[in-house]
Amino acid sequence: MIAIPRRVRRTTRITVVTIVGLILAFPLIYLIFGSVMTSAQLTSFPPQFIPTSLHLGNYSLAWDYVRGRSVINSVIFTAVTVTLQWALCISAGFALAKLRFRASNKVTALFALSLFIPAVTTLVPTFIVTDKLQLVNTYPGLILPIAAQTGFGTLLFRQYIVNLPGELIDAARVDGSTWLGILRRVIIPLAAPATGAYVAISVLTAWNLYLWPLVVATKPSVEVMTETLAPLASSQYGGGIPENVAFAATALTTLPMVVAFLIAQRAFVRGLSGSGVE
Amino acid sequence: MAVAIRGKARKTRARGAAGAGGTDPGAKSRRDRWANRDRTAAAGLLAPNLVLFTVFIIIPVILALALSFTSWDLVGAPQWIGLGNYRQMLADPAVPQAIETTMIFLVLGVVPTVVLGLLLALLANIQFRFVAVVRTLYFVPAVVSFAASAVLWQWIYRPGQGILDFLLYKVGITGPAWLSNTHTALPALDIISIWLSLPIAILLYLAALQRIPPQIIEAATLDGAGAFSRLRNIIWPGVRSMTILVVIVTILAFTNSSFDLVNILTQGGPINATTTLIYYIYYAAFNNLQLGYAAALSVLQLMLFAAILALLAGARRVAR
Repeated sequence: MIAIPRRVRRTTRITVVTIVGLILAFPLIYLIFGSVMTSAQLTSFPPQFIPTSLHLGNYSLAWDYVRGRSVINSVIFTAVTVTLQWALCISAGFALAKLRFRASNKVTALFALSLFIPAVTTLVPTFIVTDKLQLVNTYPGLILPIAAQTGFGTLLFRQYIVNLPGELIDAARVDGSTWLGILRRVIIPLAAPATGAYVAISVLTAWNLYLWPLVVATKPSVEVMTETLAPLASSQYGGGIPENVAFAATALTTLPMVVAFLIAQRAFVRGLSGSGVE
Repeated sequence: MAVAIRGKARKTRARGAAGAGGTDPGAKSRRDRWANRDRTAAAGLLAPNLVLFTVFIIIPVILALALSFTSWDLVGAPQWIGLGNYRQMLADPAVPQAIETTMIFLVLGVVPTVVLGLLLALLANIQFRFVAVVRTLYFVPAVVSFAASAVLWQWIYRPGQGILDFLLYKVGITGPAWLSNTHTALPALDIISIWLSLPIAILLYLAALQRIPPQIIEAATLDGAGAFSRLRNIIWPGVRSMTILVVIVTILAFTNSSFDLVNILTQGGPINATTTLIYYIYYAAFNNLQLGYAAALSVLQLMLFAAILALLAGARRVAR
């Protein structure tokens, strides 16, 4: 056997690692490049990969197609759901981690159990409850049932807060702080890394959610971007819009998350790997 | 997701605190006052969460069970029909077919995701100057939604025009009509879902691999252990329990994609080739307005899902 020098092996491996990375990210890179091509260039065969000109006009056509309203609805839905759910999760997680009461372990187990029920299973009855509350095709109907999925977040914050030193809380209590005051002034600042991971993963989930909006938000006034985007995938059956505009519409919904990921990669990585819960 | 409940540590601490101040009666009554306030505060902090959780999670689960014994079209009043839906389920040939499709979809998707996830994590578990940038390429597909990936991939799959057919054409193969061929539609959906799920598998495996000290691997290499021997004797024991977590997370992701991608790209077709159980439930409920039947199917789905997860949870305990 011929010994390959260590240096060469290392360089080869780095090259392979990089090429594999480019292959994995290729569809996404192609999406971004294709979104600024002309229709003729995108649909040419053999396919072309590097745009020869910048057609940013695709994006304004895409905005019209997805009806800017659905973009705004996606932003509202994501922002309100994540904020509300965060408040519910961090306060409950704090109570379960640091307050002594009899049912604490049982409540924790209940949240843990809920993680193993796929949302699809309760889709029909959740829709019925929402319908009975007359919330179909309203923002609260879109937001509340998703904000109510607090299992993951509550356990994440409970786990993080359990490991925070008790001395700071004791000191605040001796000073006469209320529990709400301790939550605001001690726990929330100290749990900032957990909040980062939680927000990253929840924003991603809410922004990409398709099934619940599909059944509960069927009017243009409340429909979100995944709903207006999905029909483009069946444009192969006719009645679609030019491919380059479809690419721009898809990039329009994907790029905000890509940019958020690049800015806050650490928080996303912690959130995606469920750090603190595992 | 596996949750380590640290109940034991809490109890020990609480006992420790009680023991330390146990002889001072003043401290005891102060602690009782605190304990009382603890309960009230805990109730206040938990209430908003638990109210929403009860209305939109617990009640629907109970309702699903109750509705499964009724016949209901969403308009009139539900009619109690006992086990009627369950009898219908047993007689419905579409049900075993949907279960089979779901299982094939899961196996064809989860196995490659886990295997590739480990291999790519092993590959990427190396330090060099731009490693953070390169790893970003591995992780970034995780942010793409099912809806967006559906639009993107139907173009990649497009017969005679897409990139996939172009690559096959280069090696002299005429590609099938990926999404409208009964043999290729399900694997084609799996490929999209694998692409979306790989980042998390790689991420989790990298976390496990980074806990294995590199010195051990180096020492084994110097002792003449080959790549396969290192994989079997050092790396596999280090990632074994993580593998179960990767499998659980991937199954959850594929459960979601078995509705989203199907509904967007194939609507269960061609000729039911991609009608997964979840899609069939959705179809029964919202197309046929058979809500009782859909609820009974949901109960079946939950039980199958619970059985798979219980099996994996057992395997995880053994792996540890």
